[in-house]
Amino acid sequence: MKELEKTKRISIAAVLFILIIIIGLLFYERPKHLYTVNSNDMLEKVIKADYFIALDKIDDPSIVLIDIRSPFEFEKGHLNEAINISTPELLKGDNPELFNKIAANKKVAILYGSTPTEANNAFMVLYQLGFENIKILLVSLAYEQNKLITNNSIIEKNVTDINAFIAESQKKVKIVPKPKKRIPKKVVPKKKKKKMPVEGGC
Amino acid sequence: MINRKLAKVLSFRYKILAIIFLVLAGGLVVLPKYEKQEGIQPEALLKNAVSSERYITTDELADLIINQDPSFILIDVREEESYKKYSLPNSINIPLDKLLSEDSNSFLNQDQFDVILFSNDHFYADQAWLICNRLDYNHIRVLKGGLNAWFNTIINPEKPSENQSVIASELYSFRKAASMYFGVAYPDEFKAKPVVKIIPKKKVIPKKKKKKMPVEGGC
Repeated sequence: MKELEKTKRISIAAVLFILIIIIGLLFYERPKHLYTVNSNDMLEKVIKADYFIALDKIDDPSIVLIDIRSPFEFEKGHLNEAINISTPELLKGDNPELFNKIAANKKVAILYGSTPTEANNAFMVLYQLGFENIKILLVSLAYEQNKLITNNSIIEKNVTDINAFIAESQKKVKIVPKPKKRIPKKVVPKKKKKKMPVEGGC
Repeated sequence: MINRKLAKVLSFRYKILAIIFLVLAGGLVVLPKYEKQEGIQPEALLKNAVSSERYITTDELADLIINQDPSFILIDVREEESYKKYSLPNSINIPLDKLLSEDSNSFLNQDQFDVILFSNDHFYADQAWLICNRLDYNHIRVLKGGLNAWFNTIINPEKPSENQSVIASELYSFRKAASMYFGVAYPDEFKAKPVVKIIPKKKVIPKKKKKKMPVEGGC
């Protein structure tokens, strides 16, 4: 009798144990998006800077243009054959599958926004999630009379030498006052009025 | 015979099981740390990336520097060469490739100061920000427009035309004063002082010479 009770307990414990494992497995949900690149590798990629593409190289058939601006701006004007996926929508719905499809077709997804900086957000998030066939288009968009204008954009261009500008401005100041100091010394002499005697008529 | 052998093995069954579990547990220790999932969730990262909260304008920064606010650190993420050429006052140079090194970690991953990242534009600074944000470093901000915007707004502000609003001219006078703080000299400001001194000396008011023609009489 005692023996039987012992086996009963063991079997109940075993069943419970197995049940918990099964329930755990059933409810385990793999996170939808997982990083495949860690921060160090991302940083290496950033420094390599091989993920840019110039505006004149987008006629290639192996390229899929993706506009990451808002749908409103996309409606206003966009590059030919571009697909609109705004940055906040990148991970929603079927969008990640779209990127997978592009990769499966051995095409390259080119991200662009109104500036390369805008596209960078999308690029870095996607790259860290393992989408490696993406690039940033070096373009800056502007509108003129509701027409979209594309310009080549150079990132991180050093426009001016600020030190030189400051030195120049100080130089200017030093040179300028000298001649100006001399000018006020000029004294315009007063000329005395000479009253001519009024000659009368006849 | 088989039954006997089986019984012999089965008498060790608990020991065998225990050994198997021990080996498996040991294997867990040897497993490499799964480092790829470090940092915040991708969805959260994307949400943070879209928000423009991280940007600080050049005017705000100039105000902070001039008021000698002690609560922020400036970090230049450009390469060392350009840092030596020109950088913002009191900034620290952390080139992008050293962003995750231990030395820079003490600057970036702390709660005491606001860290303001800047580069020529805000492209590199933004990339550095995204990497730091994933690692959940707080208090990191980006100078909007970087040094180019710094030059265009603070160092060399554009003078508003006369028909622009009062706000524009107030902004200009702030920026001009700020640029003088950072060492820019203006010829018109410099000239203003001597002019004030000279004016009282100049009492000579040139008068137009009146030449009265002798009036000639008629006939």
